[in-house]
Amino acid sequence: MNAKDPEKLFLEKVQRLLDQGAQNLGSQTEQRLEEVRLGALSGAHEKRSRFFLPRRWVLAGSFAMATLVAAVLFFFLSPSPDTLPTGDLDELEIITSRERLDIYQNLDFYRWLGSKENRMRPNGKGL
Amino acid sequence: MESALDSKQMLNRFLAEVERRAFQMAKFATRNRDEALDVVQETMLRFVRHYSVRPRQEWNVLFYRILRSRITDWYRRTFVRRKVLAWLGRPEEEDSEDPLQSLPDTANPNPSDQVLRHEERGALEKAIRALPLRQQQAFLLRAWEGMDLKQTAFAMKCSEGSVKTHYSRAVHSLRRLLEGHRS
Repeated sequence: MNAKDPEKLFLEKVQRLLDQGAQNLGSQTEQRLEEVRLGALSGAHEKRSRFFLPRRWVLAGSFAMATLVAAVLFFFLSPSPDTLPTGDLDELEIITSRERLDIYQNLDFYRWLGSKENRMRPNGKGL
Repeated sequence: MESALDSKQMLNRFLAEVERRAFQMAKFATRNRDEALDVVQETMLRFVRHYSVRPRQEWNVLFYRILRSRITDWYRRTFVRRKVLAWLGRPEEEDSEDPLQSLPDTANPNPSDQVLRHEERGALEKAIRALPLRQQQAFLLRAWEGMDLKQTAFAMKCSEGSVKTHYSRAVHSLRRLLEGHRS
């Protein structure tokens, strides 16, 4: 059987000594390590649940804020029933001007009607 | 629910397997028990939060990559703290040795053998602590944790060539330092 490589022997010895050291940390350190491990396991889960909690609140808060903004915009920007929009005013003008136009267009008719009424009433008074 | 419990148990088992070595590695680097425990705690928290969803076969190398990163962070923080303390004219904090380190190994019934091994172990640990950080990490990951070149390079965030250099220098230094304790 070949003799083992001195470096390999050295490394095996180092590994053995390091393992012994790791197995003899002392009860206090071992206990602390266990606490650290369990704390990391539970802390990570707590952290995860805490991580999701603010996100839920942020989501709900954002939704509430969006609703509030929409309500405010609707309240301030929606037209009041007492005021008319500009388009309706234009339409009103058009309607009014059409009426006047009708009067001018039927002016001959009204003249004829007036002269007829005057002829029917000898005293010159209307109906 | 059951799978969540299983994964938590698996994670617990994995952390229990690596915690002692991780602590020792952190202690070699920080030379302080409490600082080492803090480093291990940060590593575990980070691992569980961000990497526990990765495949099980990746856990080991990921865990040690985080550990190395935490140790490097600790080095930076300590460097700044020492600079500030020096600037303020306060004495630097003393590195306290773990008092438990001096306790005898009760598992071994032979006192002379026990003392010899304890001395050997003490000399080895002192020699490892004396190594530069990169050499220390390369050596511990390769020789103790049994990682191959590629895994070690990933854990150390460096090239495989760099790992080779750090590792061979570490082995050379340790062999020279431990010459008197070799049997």
